[in-house]
Amino acid sequence: MIRKLRYLFTATFSNLWRNATLTIAAILTVMISLVLFGTSLMVRYAVDNATARWQGGIEFVVWMNADASPQQDAAIRETLDESPQIKDWTYVDQEAAYQEFLELFEDNPELRENVDPSILPPSYRVVPTDPDADVVAELADQFRTRAGVRSVALPTEVIKEVQRTGDIISTRTLLFSLILVVAALLLILNTVLIAIGARRREIEVMKLVGATNWFIRLPFMFEGVVCGLLGGALSIPAVWWIRRSIIEEISSSEAINLLTGFRVADSEFQFIAIVLVGLGCAVATFGSVLAVSLHLDV
Amino acid sequence: MIKLEEVTKSYKGNVTALAGASADIGKGEFVFLVGPSGSGKSTFIRLLNREERPSSGKIYVAGKDIGQLSSWKVPYLRRNIGCIFQDFKLLPKKTVAENVAYALQVIGRPNHVIQKQVPAILELVGLSNKVDRFPDELSGGEQQRVSIARAFVNRPLILLADEPTGNLDPATSVGIMRLLDRINRTGTTVVMATHDRGIVDTMRRRVIELDRGSIVRDQARGVYE
Repeated sequence: MIRKLRYLFTATFSNLWRNATLTIAAILTVMISLVLFGTSLMVRYAVDNATARWQGGIEFVVWMNADASPQQDAAIRETLDESPQIKDWTYVDQEAAYQEFLELFEDNPELRENVDPSILPPSYRVVPTDPDADVVAELADQFRTRAGVRSVALPTEVIKEVQRTGDIISTRTLLFSLILVVAALLLILNTVLIAIGARRREIEVMKLVGATNWFIRLPFMFEGVVCGLLGGALSIPAVWWIRRSIIEEISSSEAINLLTGFRVADSEFQFIAIVLVGLGCAVATFGSVLAVSLHLDV
Repeated sequence: MIKLEEVTKSYKGNVTALAGASADIGKGEFVFLVGPSGSGKSTFIRLLNREERPSSGKIYVAGKDIGQLSSWKVPYLRRNIGCIFQDFKLLPKKTVAENVAYALQVIGRPNHVIQKQVPAILELVGLSNKVDRFPDELSGGEQQRVSIARAFVNRPLILLADEPTGNLDPATSVGIMRLLDRINRTGTTVVMATHDRGIVDTMRRRVIELDRGSIVRDQARGVYE
């Protein structure tokens, strides 16, 4: 077993080395395609985080006083239920508001420790039937003067613009990343095919003396998988750098201070990193299995 | 050991390489396949090694119908069949000993077995003094001895030889034939395709003659024609 593993290891790396230029091209293509894919995911997360309150058609938020009485709450609910202009609403109580707060400031433990759920205002998130800006503004105004209401918040044009631009950026980068994933797949396929070609004689002899198909195939498949794995691994620092240098820059910018929530949490970044390595391996495995099954039959 | 029943092999474009060939080769026999180029000798050999499948008919090797053999079992069939060729098929970047050892390594034989068997087989083929040479430092006859050592190191039941003396001068060929004869005397069945009239006439073994894919003669202790 150890002998076989050692053979697998040396054969794989001698293939990679023999094929160095093509191997590097394949690894870099995998990496760049995954960087684009990762960026697309990060933009999506960042936009979601920046506009968390404004998803699912929610057009305005009624913030209650933290000490609003049950009667005041009931009156607001009655209005929300009865108005024909309101399609749906959800109530976010203090505990839920606190959870949201914890997520938003995941990277700021100091702030998290100093905030108690009891000081956070509960709120109603309202989805109106007609999303037209004027109608929504008029509707929201009805709640401003009600008893127990602290304030009413409407998404500004800036937030809508952020959602729209974020969507455009993330779908375009996703599209280009997918095209590059296909390029990466083809490059890996070619890398493996060239390795097979370079070892034609050895493969012929191995078949002749009765080496098993897996023994012959595995080093070539591993070669492709190593390309995918390395490309995936290299894409992580690149994506991390984009997160630091672009996304965090935007979120801390004074000029666009509305975007303080435009960020990618550590847990989300970890998830993206896993997705990238997984995708790299999947693409590479597919490419090399394809190459091997095309050209290494008994 | 080897049995062919009405074996036909046709390729795309209606080329028939073998047409209804039947033969029965016993354990320990030495058989020459003769006939002009394109008569089906190589196809005969390739069918026995399961490099090709018959279009119709059945081929039994050591009692097994190899046409029905699933492809993952083919390597195990080939471990019982040694093969040598006109062009030797040695790996140029490996030494004599490494070329022979390679055949054992890739089927997962442990090192201690390899270290014992490789010198023994190189002794048998008379190359004990050239173990560290590379193939391009050897004569044609010596290269063919390496290839025989590689084919026989795993002690197969059958040795298939496709024109093994095709690239060698007559004197060298005689040496190779002595070696094959010696291997045959250990009980190994040898099937050898050849054009070499002199060898066939001297050895006086069983001769199967092929012409345009059909067996036209099957003679014990035969001559070339």
